[in-house]
Amino acid sequence: MANFFPKWINWLPLKLTICIAVIVTTLVAGIWYYFTPKYTRVGYEPDQPVPFSHVIHVEQLGMDCRYCHSFVEVASHSNVPTTATCIGCHGEGKIKYDSPKLTAVVESWKTGRPVQWARIHQVPDYAYFNHAVHVNRGVSCYSCHGDVSAMPVVYQHEPQSMAWCLECHRAPENHLRPPEEIYNMKWKPVAGETQREIGMKFKQEWDVNPPVTCGGCHR
Amino acid sequence: MKKIINHPSRPERPTMWRSMEEFQNTPEFEETLQREFPAGAAVYDESGLSKRDFLKLMGASMALAGVGLTGCRRPPSFLVPLTQGVEWTVPGKFLYYATAMPTRLGAIPLIATTSDGRPTKVEGNPLHPYSNGGTDVFAQASVLDLYDPNRLKAIKREGASTDAASFDTLIGEIRQRGEGLAVLADSANSPSRDRLRMELKVAFPGMIWAEYEPLATGESTAAVVAAFGDGTSVRPNFEAADVILALDSDFLDSTEAGPSFTKAFYQRRKPEQEGRGMNRLYVVENHYTSTGGLADHRLRVRACDIGAFLAAVSVQVASLTGNSALSSAASAFPAGTTTFDEVWITECAKDLASASGRALVLVGREQPAPVQALGYALNGALGSLGTTLLGYNTGAAPKVATIEDLAAALSSNSVQTLIILGGNPVYNAPANLKFAELLAAMPTSIHLSLYEDETSKMCKWAVPAAHYLETWGDTRTLDGTHTSIQPMILPLWNGVSQLDILSQLLGRPRSEGPEIVRETFQQRVGSTGTALDLAWNEYVRTGFLAESAFPAAALSLNTGAITAGIAAYQPSPADGAEVVFLKSSSVDDGRYANNSWLQETPDFVTKLTWDNAALVSPADAAELGIKDGDMVEIVAGDTRLECAALIAPGHADKSVSISLGYGRKDVSALMQNVGFDAYPLRTVATPRFRKGVSVKATRGPKYKLARPQEHQSMEGRDLFREGTLDRFKKNPTFALNMGMDAHLPPEISIYNNPLFQPEQMAKEQWAMTVDLNVCNGCNACLVACQAENNVPVVGKDQVIRGRDMAWIRIDRYFASPESSLENPEMVAQMITCQHCENAPCETVCPVNATVHSEDGLNLMAYNRCIGTRYCANNCPWKVRRFNYFDYNQRPIDKLYFGPLAPKGMADSLKMSKNPNVTVRMRGVMEKCTFCIQRIEEAKIARTVKAGASDKSKVPVAPFKTACQQACPSEAIVFGDENNPDRLVSKLRKDPRGFTMLKYVNARPRITYLARIKNPNPAMPGADLVGNINTPDHHGESHGEAPHGAIDPHGSPAPAAHH
Repeated sequence: MANFFPKWINWLPLKLTICIAVIVTTLVAGIWYYFTPKYTRVGYEPDQPVPFSHVIHVEQLGMDCRYCHSFVEVASHSNVPTTATCIGCHGEGKIKYDSPKLTAVVESWKTGRPVQWARIHQVPDYAYFNHAVHVNRGVSCYSCHGDVSAMPVVYQHEPQSMAWCLECHRAPENHLRPPEEIYNMKWKPVAGETQREIGMKFKQEWDVNPPVTCGGCHR
Repeated sequence: MKKIINHPSRPERPTMWRSMEEFQNTPEFEETLQREFPAGAAVYDESGLSKRDFLKLMGASMALAGVGLTGCRRPPSFLVPLTQGVEWTVPGKFLYYATAMPTRLGAIPLIATTSDGRPTKVEGNPLHPYSNGGTDVFAQASVLDLYDPNRLKAIKREGASTDAASFDTLIGEIRQRGEGLAVLADSANSPSRDRLRMELKVAFPGMIWAEYEPLATGESTAAVVAAFGDGTSVRPNFEAADVILALDSDFLDSTEAGPSFTKAFYQRRKPEQEGRGMNRLYVVENHYTSTGGLADHRLRVRACDIGAFLAAVSVQVASLTGNSALSSAASAFPAGTTTFDEVWITECAKDLASASGRALVLVGREQPAPVQALGYALNGALGSLGTTLLGYNTGAAPKVATIEDLAAALSSNSVQTLIILGGNPVYNAPANLKFAELLAAMPTSIHLSLYEDETSKMCKWAVPAAHYLETWGDTRTLDGTHTSIQPMILPLWNGVSQLDILSQLLGRPRSEGPEIVRETFQQRVGSTGTALDLAWNEYVRTGFLAESAFPAAALSLNTGAITAGIAAYQPSPADGAEVVFLKSSSVDDGRYANNSWLQETPDFVTKLTWDNAALVSPADAAELGIKDGDMVEIVAGDTRLECAALIAPGHADKSVSISLGYGRKDVSALMQNVGFDAYPLRTVATPRFRKGVSVKATRGPKYKLARPQEHQSMEGRDLFREGTLDRFKKNPTFALNMGMDAHLPPEISIYNNPLFQPEQMAKEQWAMTVDLNVCNGCNACLVACQAENNVPVVGKDQVIRGRDMAWIRIDRYFASPESSLENPEMVAQMITCQHCENAPCETVCPVNATVHSEDGLNLMAYNRCIGTRYCANNCPWKVRRFNYFDYNQRPIDKLYFGPLAPKGMADSLKMSKNPNVTVRMRGVMEKCTFCIQRIEEAKIARTVKAGASDKSKVPVAPFKTACQQACPSEAIVFGDENNPDRLVSKLRKDPRGFTMLKYVNARPRITYLARIKNPNPAMPGADLVGNINTPDHHGESHGEAPHGAIDPHGSPAPAAHH
């Protein structure tokens, strides 16, 4: 019987197998990486030059976020405190000035060179986020940063991807809270009220209408 | 049903054209038009690699590289706070400080924007009495000069870097020697420098203090002194001027006199104004200036004949007014051989004389002093003194030596030490002084300079100068107001100011703060203690000392001195052509030659970038047999200059104009091979024009000129509209129904888009209007946009390929109803993204990168753009710009290097970027955003203020776009057209308003207000003035084609206007 198929067909199953294997592996690897929190760096917890604990400062001592992040209500950028702010309490003859954990701060105070804090939350260069407009309009630190007061070392709590931004911009009622509770990381709606009800009330009262058009964030 | 748009046909011979090619309708031009993109725009590089080849290669390399590499982790980044907070500083928020930029004649009061301690943008200071908040192109670009990585960064001794201590030793030696000291300075109008100079005069009695500015020679001062005596200055009062005759005077150039100079002129230019009517402007000049473009009547006269022309006008006015003083002064003027248009002169003189007391004659500052003095005599006869020409008492200023005096002293060997403060005399001193040779012979020479330029290289010592944004200082604006200069940043490269050097020469310790300026201030205000502190704080905060302008003074004309001056005046008898030296609109006198923003800004008349050229009239060009870009040789005496020629419509015959400031050699890579140096032709006796030159075509290869004007054409449509005052009064909405627009069928939509609901629209709807009546095309908006929006420069080679990136372009048309090249009108039109409501670009984007926002903006999401360029293709206005290369990351001479070549911009240039605007990368499209960063900031400010309340419903506080804020003539108005309180909502409905290309129904958000001309009916050619558009359809050739069944305009609906 004549050969119906040319000889190279013999290799076809192998070729197909390899091809499919490569494609499947790539797909799995791609989804594994890009579709999971690893890509958005949720849980990113870099080493900081100073082992600063928000638990001690906020939860135990009851300090307000704005003591250190002092310009969050007026500027787009929520500032990291200057060395002088740290030294205000940790200055010579004050609290724990000689602690080895504060070496970087003391060094910075003596030399005038700033402390290089590792950046955790990073919005891409083409996106412009404004802190002031969020915290003044009922969006708590908690919504984007999680319960920082319970973090001995700060890590990224939310994906901060564009889809995540838009979730809230499309339905801000899920995050709006009373203005006096913005900096309270532990706030929960009182019994009998849901977040949605409270949020809807504020949304209507304050005319909250966040932009969902490209130009709201991209300039 | 597909809508078929019938475009108007392009006339055989255009009445409105942008380039010579378009005017002549050459086959090459036709081919350019038919192309989607300029030739070579799709070609990858010099090797001829096409886009298709490129894609193949890229595909292969992608396969090789694999996708695995893209998974690399983001590099760690850091947050670096200050160690100690700085007063007023909030990270990420702008701070604004009042300061000023000194200019040749005065200063431009400014507000500098600093972002985290870096000045990134300057705006005019609207509080200042001599400012309307406008700026000019040079002030806008000065920020780039500050961060220029090519600046001189260390003290150099004979070319080798040295330290400050050895320079201090040198100053000590100079002090010890005491004699043989000479200083050559630029003009700074600084009270502190004047004070230190007086003190130096006491300390070094033999010191020679000379001042030199290549474009402010002594002629205008000499004329004022002759006409009105010493210690006087004159300024026109446009408020009162009904008829203005400008002779070789580009008075609307805001760099000369400051932006507020012309405020009143523009107010009187408005056709709708109440009370006094619109003014009338006659301009007589040899080449087109931006002022000439606004003229109602313009005459081409050679610069060397301006005097004779003025004398002819004066004779007529003298006989009309019976003024014997003027008559004797005018008849003393040496008779020339040139004849002028007699009717023009007679009618112009009649118009001037009939407007006695409301007329104004302006003569160019560089014209010979006797000519300018005759101008004052004419003003005297017209009753202008004290009405349209006001006098001010400047006080008797101590005399300064001129550069000729200094050259004489240098050659007599009486000077051992020459200190040159600013300026670049080796390059720009009058050629006959041979300054370079004199300087080379100096035992000690010091040059304080921003750059290591020709003079620095020739001097024994070169000292880096501080930029005006880095130093304390003071200055006086043209009206005399004391204006403060304060530093925005510490000197980037150890620059020192002129005041520092002078005070060091006086043996005083180096001051770190404002001590020198404050002492001058104290002497001026005369107070002490708290009163002084308060006054000083106010001075620094507002940027000026109130009521410190020169006091008004009565002007009394010294006719004897004028006549004597004129009688003694002997114009050069040489015949042949003249060469006229112009101030460059891009590099001034050459001082901005290293500023790439300015180099790439097209000249407002020639549209030339990265070069200058000899401008010749069309008739001369025909005689010489040359075309644009052909080389010509200009021979004056024993000096020859070979340069490229450019045909300039409206240029005087037997006259060649060339901009100064180009042709720098061996200074920086940026300046290399840029233009031709005309300074060698210029001598002490010929500051403005030189007679007796010969021009001949050389058979050299054609020179490549980069002119973005040619890239886009708008084919005989009524894009720019103008009419006369009479026409406007009869029919205020004449511009609305010009050409095709008269026949537009009503727009009926047969499909109601359910997604488009009025309630989805935002409260604010952004719109802009541009008043063509007052826009003279000065380019300030263009450079302001560049500074605000981080627009990169691309270099000459890329401009030739049509890849220029400027978001604003200023279309300059020459227009003549008779299609004449001799003296056409010149009009300017600022074009940027029109933010069309039915934007054609949005419908073709495959990835939704360009979409509409609810507040009417045509948005551009850079991170979505994949660079198909369909949008640019479909844009009727051709305002979209594509990043063919990483213009921000690569120097312009290394654009074609491969992907592994080093990338990144100089650190200092990074500091100049606006942090609120994305720096775009290769492969994305960009265009005007209506300054969305300012819109968003304003909206955010409103929302933050509202806080927990519904006050976010209040209107957004008014703000300005960068172009609007820079505009010295207030032609651009931007705002919310839904808010009836905003000017823009009124101007959008202005009777003069029209939108471009209305028939394509893109509904632009930019309305242009038609230009109105105010011709004098008795003037020759008056019927052609203000008549450049295609003839009104009504009443002409209208009977033949009835509307209806066979509608010539592509619509079955009957035209609405019948």
